[in-house]
Amino acid sequence: MHIPDGILPLSVTGSGYAATTLTTWYSIRKIRQKEDPRQDIPKASLLTAAFFIASWIHIPVPPTSVHLVLNGLLGALLGYYAFPAILIGLFFQAIMFGHGGLTTLGVNAMIMGLPALIAHHIFRLRKWRNSDGQKKTGAFGFLSGVVATGISVAMFVIILLTNLPAEINIVSERTAVYALAIAHIPVIFIEGTITALVTVFIRKVRPGILDGV
Amino acid sequence: MNLGIDEYTDLDSPFHRWDPRYKIVGLITLVFAFSFIRDLRMLLAVAVATITIYGISRLPAGYIAKRFRYPSFFLLAIVLSLPFLSGEHVLMSLGPIALRQEGLLATILIATRFSCILIVGMILLGTTPLLTNIKAVRTIGLPDIMADMALLAFRYLQEIGRDLRNMQTSMRLRGFRDRRFSPRGLKTLAWLSGSLLIYSYERSESIYKAMVLRGYGQAPPRQSEFQANKKDALILVAIILAAAGFIIGDLMLGHSTSTLLQ
Repeated sequence: MHIPDGILPLSVTGSGYAATTLTTWYSIRKIRQKEDPRQDIPKASLLTAAFFIASWIHIPVPPTSVHLVLNGLLGALLGYYAFPAILIGLFFQAIMFGHGGLTTLGVNAMIMGLPALIAHHIFRLRKWRNSDGQKKTGAFGFLSGVVATGISVAMFVIILLTNLPAEINIVSERTAVYALAIAHIPVIFIEGTITALVTVFIRKVRPGILDGV
Repeated sequence: MNLGIDEYTDLDSPFHRWDPRYKIVGLITLVFAFSFIRDLRMLLAVAVATITIYGISRLPAGYIAKRFRYPSFFLLAIVLSLPFLSGEHVLMSLGPIALRQEGLLATILIATRFSCILIVGMILLGTTPLLTNIKAVRTIGLPDIMADMALLAFRYLQEIGRDLRNMQTSMRLRGFRDRRFSPRGLKTLAWLSGSLLIYSYERSESIYKAMVLRGYGQAPPRQSEFQANKKDALILVAIILAAAGFIIGDLMLGHSTSTLLQ
């Protein structure tokens, strides 16, 4: 779900950077409202690195395998640090492996980062009515993963298909949208399940992490 | 895990000697100008300029070939689909498969722009160590929180990568095989991710204590380690003029993919 360089016109890549700058500014403003924002930087940084590495874990989905996106989990655990974390992770992925690109970094950050912030707010709802049981953590973890990945897939497909340089005929476009959406349905549910399982696991082993950084 | 990103940063070329702050501004402007190009004649000029500056950077051809490995799958998908799905003017047909002019032109446009942007990006990153680039971006406006996060995350990437490899080896030694999809396998892989996150979180607590002992957050801001001279500024002006030239040239030629064939 990374849009590479060369596909999108300057107006879209420029708008992507503008939207990313605005969202990063808002996230950092929220982070600075904490009592000691520097205290959480090492935690957020190491979790950023761990998410980057964890995205290499491949889940077998015959006849192929998929790698994890984890933006829902990232939003759930990192809160407002999730957006800068995703921006940094995407930058590393672009320069180290050629996933995504430098001109599309802003657009890709919005595709992955905005749903992560939404996931953060969904996951916080588990504390509604002051109860935070294991089932509730799992359910809201699942919802965070599914919603975040689902929105990312939708944004990716819409941006890609509406910005290809040549006109694709309507039938081909509809087929491509359906094919991409159907291909991603298992990924969306796997992401939701993994997010639920990981949040429940963390709740058992190190519940403090779920309070956010 | 060998990231191999700083492999050729100790070579000597005008790009290696260029002040990193100016280099970031200049080359990022250039790649954005590349993404504006739609005229095929201008695209040829962009390709020639890219090859020329790659030659000047003295980076080996193998360096760029390595970086093309993953994106080439995407390019292949574009080349195999777009010329046959997109457009109305059929150039050639074989049974139900038709090669279309608009799709073919779009494929050439995407593939050339993509390759040129990737190559210029590699010049930017291949001629200055990554940590120096992050420090340079901080001096031109990257918020401290993001710069600190990027520096720390990069510092621990290799170690956490090693942790993951060790955990996966332990799982295999205990008989775990991840070739088939199963709910149990999914649970095990989720625990693997969770363990990696918990281990990294716990490590960050001792890192923070060590950072505080070394004065993190207390020291006055350091003076910039970068010093630019007139030559750095002149190269920047030349690159920005070239970027503007590509955009103006493209606008004058019509800013359209199909201009050449009309």
